[in-house]
Amino acid sequence: MNTFDFLSRREALQRAGGGLGWLACAALLERTGFVSASAAALRNPLSPKAPPLPARAKSVIWIFANGGPSQVDTWDYKPELQKRDGMSLDGFDPKTGFFPGSAGPLMKSPFEWARHGQSGTWVSDLFPHLAKHVDKMSFIHSCWTGSNNHSPALFMMNTGSTRMGSPCVGSWVSYGLGSEAESLPSFVVMSDPLKRGLPKGNALNWGAGYLPSVYQGTWLKPDGEPIENLKPAASASDDLQRAQLDLLAGLNRRGLSATPIEGELSARIESFELAYRMQTAAPEAFDISSEPEHIRRLYGADLPHCKHFATQCLTARRMVERGVRFVQIYSGGMENQQSWDCHGDLVGNHRGFAMEADQPVAALLADLEQRGLLKDTLVIWAGEFGRTPTSQKGAKPGRDHNPHAFTVWMAGGGVKGGFHYGESDEVGYKAAVNKVHVRDFHATLLTLLGIDHEKLTYRFQGLDQRLTGVEPTRVVREIFA
Amino acid sequence: MTLPRTLSLLFAAPALQLQGVAAPAPVPADHAALMAKGLESFEREVAGLLREHCLGCHGGDKTKADFDLASRELLLKGGADGPSVVPFHPGQSRLLKMLRHQEEPFMPENKPRLPEEVIGRIEAWIQQGAPYSKPLVEGKKAGRDRSLVTEEDRQWWAFQPLSRQVVPDAGARTHPVDRFLAAKAAEKGLSLAPKADRRTLIRRATFDLTGLPPTPEEVERFVQDPAPDAWPRLVDNLLARPAYGERWARHWMDVARYGESSGFEQDYDRTGSYHYRDFLIHAFNSDLPYPQFVQWQIAGDEFAPGNPKALAATAFLSLGVFPTQITINELERVRYEDMDDMLSTAAAAFLGLTVGCARCHDHKYDPIPTRDYYRMLSNFTGTVRSEIELDVDPEKTRELKVGWKNGHDKLVAEQQQWEQANRPLFEVFLRQELPNLAEPAAWTVWIPKEAKTSAGTKLTPQADGSFLAAKGSVPDQEQFDFVSEAPQRPLAGLRLEAMVDPSLPQTGPGRAGNGNFQLSRVRVELEESGGSRREVALSKAAADFEQNNQALSVAAALSGKKGEGWAIGGKEKQPHAAVFSFAEALTPPAGSRLRVTLEFHGNAKHSIGRPRLSWGSGGEPALANPTFAAGIVELLRGRRSPEQTEDFQKLERWWLEQQAPWRGLEARRLASEKAEPSGLSKVLVASESFPPVKYHTAGGSVETYKETFVLKRGNVALKEDPAAPGFLQVLSRAPEQRWAWSPPAGATYFGKRRALANWILDESGGAGALAARVFVNRLWQHHFGQGIAAAPNDFGKTGALPSQPDLLDWLAGKLLAGNGSIKAMHRLLMTSDAYQQAAIKDDAKEKADPANALFVRRLPVRLEGEAIRDSLLAVSGLMDPQMYGPGVADDRSPRRSIYLKVKRSKLAATMVSFDQPEPLASQGLRPTTTVAPQALILMNSPLARSAAEALAARVIRGAAADATPERLIEGAYAIALGRAPEPEEIELAQGFLGAQAARLGAGSKTPAQTATEAFAHFCQVLLQTNEFAYLP
Repeated sequence: MNTFDFLSRREALQRAGGGLGWLACAALLERTGFVSASAAALRNPLSPKAPPLPARAKSVIWIFANGGPSQVDTWDYKPELQKRDGMSLDGFDPKTGFFPGSAGPLMKSPFEWARHGQSGTWVSDLFPHLAKHVDKMSFIHSCWTGSNNHSPALFMMNTGSTRMGSPCVGSWVSYGLGSEAESLPSFVVMSDPLKRGLPKGNALNWGAGYLPSVYQGTWLKPDGEPIENLKPAASASDDLQRAQLDLLAGLNRRGLSATPIEGELSARIESFELAYRMQTAAPEAFDISSEPEHIRRLYGADLPHCKHFATQCLTARRMVERGVRFVQIYSGGMENQQSWDCHGDLVGNHRGFAMEADQPVAALLADLEQRGLLKDTLVIWAGEFGRTPTSQKGAKPGRDHNPHAFTVWMAGGGVKGGFHYGESDEVGYKAAVNKVHVRDFHATLLTLLGIDHEKLTYRFQGLDQRLTGVEPTRVVREIFA
Repeated sequence: MTLPRTLSLLFAAPALQLQGVAAPAPVPADHAALMAKGLESFEREVAGLLREHCLGCHGGDKTKADFDLASRELLLKGGADGPSVVPFHPGQSRLLKMLRHQEEPFMPENKPRLPEEVIGRIEAWIQQGAPYSKPLVEGKKAGRDRSLVTEEDRQWWAFQPLSRQVVPDAGARTHPVDRFLAAKAAEKGLSLAPKADRRTLIRRATFDLTGLPPTPEEVERFVQDPAPDAWPRLVDNLLARPAYGERWARHWMDVARYGESSGFEQDYDRTGSYHYRDFLIHAFNSDLPYPQFVQWQIAGDEFAPGNPKALAATAFLSLGVFPTQITINELERVRYEDMDDMLSTAAAAFLGLTVGCARCHDHKYDPIPTRDYYRMLSNFTGTVRSEIELDVDPEKTRELKVGWKNGHDKLVAEQQQWEQANRPLFEVFLRQELPNLAEPAAWTVWIPKEAKTSAGTKLTPQADGSFLAAKGSVPDQEQFDFVSEAPQRPLAGLRLEAMVDPSLPQTGPGRAGNGNFQLSRVRVELEESGGSRREVALSKAAADFEQNNQALSVAAALSGKKGEGWAIGGKEKQPHAAVFSFAEALTPPAGSRLRVTLEFHGNAKHSIGRPRLSWGSGGEPALANPTFAAGIVELLRGRRSPEQTEDFQKLERWWLEQQAPWRGLEARRLASEKAEPSGLSKVLVASESFPPVKYHTAGGSVETYKETFVLKRGNVALKEDPAAPGFLQVLSRAPEQRWAWSPPAGATYFGKRRALANWILDESGGAGALAARVFVNRLWQHHFGQGIAAAPNDFGKTGALPSQPDLLDWLAGKLLAGNGSIKAMHRLLMTSDAYQQAAIKDDAKEKADPANALFVRRLPVRLEGEAIRDSLLAVSGLMDPQMYGPGVADDRSPRRSIYLKVKRSKLAATMVSFDQPEPLASQGLRPTTTVAPQALILMNSPLARSAAEALAARVIRGAAADATPERLIEGAYAIALGRAPEPEEIELAQGFLGAQAARLGAGSKTPAQTATEAFAHFCQVLLQTNEFAYLP
């Protein structure tokens, strides 16, 4: 075997990165003759690819407000709703939500509202910290979706389809752009660490669907080691394992040049080296204890009510800093009082989850900005649907699911600050002006990342599938800076 | 050209186009919306532009260069230079280059370039698919009507009858497979590679057929076997192993989108699914003939109604995902989706066709009109998934029963022996102990003849003397009155037991939602024969537990004060008892009756669910006093003669129950009785005969509809005509009546699925030729690393053309001509020289045939996750060889990987890392990725480490006590890789062992310990090598 050739390929592979060592078998291409050996070596499914369009953002941090927060109690101020408290809503379909039998009259927001920032954006008192950052945010008040049921709506928000089995946005983005992260996954998901469950539909919310499994989201386990098998056994100290890998490489290289699948086998040799490097790189990225005290305090990592979310937000920043493409953090666990799903006790529910997220997310925006990362990082706040402006009757009233209107905001990553797009109707029941469907939101998101949503396709079952599906779709360019 | 199976990753690179592939340019998924826009723009402007600038020379007065754009069909056909418009792909459309004067001939000819704005409109229209609403010239043929199937459509290779080519001559090659391949390769001046050595061959064959590595002994035996038929004997031997079915069933499970849960929101476990997997294993192992393999999965209940395995096979249709939380108005749509899943899976698996594409419109590539889709779909009208109780393996059940009966009979005999041996003691008891028992301070259960209730609760007497309140609505207030003859002896008190029962809320003992009760008052009255009635005064009360010592105490039940009474809150779900002492002993006169009244007028619904009453006599009534079954005391008092009377038997029985050893024997006998194997378990099936698995919500109903309609755009709101059951026209060369089948009178199934299977298997008139091609192609794919047709689930126009069509047809003919033995097909393929080629690098061949379409090179293939994990378990000796049964949830289990539970929301991480596909739709081809998480599994997972340690221990155990490191290294190589290490490998290994032991020796371990540990580290490295993970 020609040593020089091997080394150069090896170097090429290292330079190509390929997050989480996704050094896939580029060599297949070589063997099938489509590309030359050296080009093949560079072609791995997660090697970074230049975005086809000018990119405004490089990475995404999506705070997924799980369970469906109430738009009219958070970001979509409705003075008319305050006035018509207790009145019935003409044209209200009691089957809007999940509990037709408990549909009550209009219910005003129980929270105090005030204007913030130069934009004068109305924000309820649920978010005292985030309110300071409204001039970084573009709000879309006219979002709507296709299902009033958690798991189809979650699938819709994450995959563009209410049916199961389609790839998630993070998978599509990883597929389209590859990964900039040397030794980390490209698509990372963090779920509730307080044992309140996973979003409904579980792992399908970060599945690769029909895309190769290499594109699935890496779920960081909230307990124990965040990534499976990342930690060597206690008995395998670093030098012992290093010696094993050296022997392995020595054995694997024997006769390599005589095999007809040299490229593929070389890739496998390299995958062990990448795995070895990941063992240090990934825990380092997860370890927020190396952050200075003032940064940790900024996020609220010292405060009992939000330290778990602070840790996750801080971890997200560290990931993005290291080139991770797509991070999702779920605020809240499964449903009802485990998440923003405030069927009962709107005040207690929203107050609690807002307290968990407010300071950490605000700190994330501030921290990204001070590091110059915000311009390349799109921070998203979105759940799977909104809530009814009417009450759901009960001892402590709540609000029921509402697919017709919800508010999403984005910050950084090439969007305008202090900007509002679209409107819901006067009480916030349905999107009314410049309606934005989930697929429009997806198309907008891809466009910000420099991807043409119509061209990002994957052949499956005889068709070129895509995230945004086949219905007419519109990119909300108005929010672009 | 063909695509190797690993190539599917190519599609992962969006920038990469498959140059020179004969398949048509891809059509975007939103083509329908685009075409709609295009049509609009055609009518608004493009038709005018074409008429104005082009039609004159191309289809109107003249047709220059044979290029006619008067209709879409003609436009796409192109002129003398071939097509110049590729719909949806303006970039590939030469016409635009000509219009822009970037490519000759410039158009319009001899005229100035059209304004860019005009060209832009034409470009946009092409991008929208270049649709025509009507031809530009009257009478020109419009685009073809895809709802009709033409003779031309039948010309597609996959739809034609088998070619029946004679096996070509190819020099010295004798095996038909080799002759086909060699003849074709010779055209390119290539020939088969030389045979691999025997070590490689046995490793290849063993992995291929069993998914496991050969043992060192097997390797040596084969290598040393001088017989010329050593190879075919090896193949036969491997085919006869149970592991063969476990290997090949897993391949088919990808095709069948096998899962053990429903998917969607709740992803409930489907406990009956595993019988399908077991059916597959059994089918392969017993060499179920190919026709039956098809028949049973589509209509096992109709072909072999009495055969439980055939029933279990029908789960093929019902394994798909199924939403469990839907609203009423989604029912019909979900039902159509369910049928679509059945049809799409069956069509992909058996016919290699993507019929689902025809659900909303006529198939754009393949001749499958929408009407055909719905006619096919209609074969599944009424077919639902059910879970039924079935004895899947009656023979095994019979065996189990025999085993059980032996054990049980022994227990019975043992008990009888004890009774015999102890009868003298009973007799002694009767003779001597009776006087002492004449007036025992004991409780005797009272079985009242009447039990009346004030608010309608139905009380049913139980065998033990208790009364059980019927389920249903519980009255807020209630009163029980029990009346019966009074015992003729002095009574000292009443005992009330509040017993538990599974039918009660929280098992009771109360009927309140939480299982509590509140006894407001208890009263005892004596009714003399004359009719006079008097209250028996109760002096005090005691209970095993009371909720507090005031208003909810047992004493409160004496006074009957409003709102007060005995309750047991905090200790629900367990039985309780209270005793009430009489103020003075009562000896009821002859003929008198006793009445006990239990009042519940406190907390709503707080009555007792299963009361039992006993009378105390012979002393102070206390909870601890023994209980005599009803009548026993009377029997004792009667002192009837101890003969073989019924009374005597009752007495003896009662006496036995007081004896602890007998009670132990009785408990064992009862437990054994309960454990009698029924052989029954829940089995997932698909049929019209059984109640469907229910939805979680939406009223729990599963709507099945009497008819299936043709739907416009797949929309249940847009129904056209009812669709009569039928088949794909393009694959039907006979009247459909030919396949129809009428079920016998009284059958609950409809017979349509059997007709479908008949059609799929009919070579001369139906889809039999295609189905056989699809099936043998799958076999070939797993033996040779890639199919003859590279897209195993798509034999239509978007798939890939077969690289060796004659060979494929010849093999399909072989499958159909014989008795359908699948094992025979393995034998046929594996005895070819082509299968036995050595995997050697050959630059010339690689250049001449990069895709290996000629199969004159052997390329090693990465083992699937299942085979890698199973190999770890096998070489380490950790494997649990148990076959069949429910899926195992924990992937640390030592069972083979095929038994790992496939829960759709929680797939086994190891399997997913190694490319096991998501079981949502049929998958015929796994991608092979090489990624770091796979390396991490082999470096750090408990499985890899324990396998390495166990392998090390196994080698050391098998070696002489004074074995040198070299011997141990050889031992590990033999087990893990089936060969001896080469000198350089020994050198590397020895160097490693020495250095690693030195590093390990830093602590307090003995040299022997560190040597063992270092050796385990070495073994782990062997299990990580490429050689271990590749099928050679």
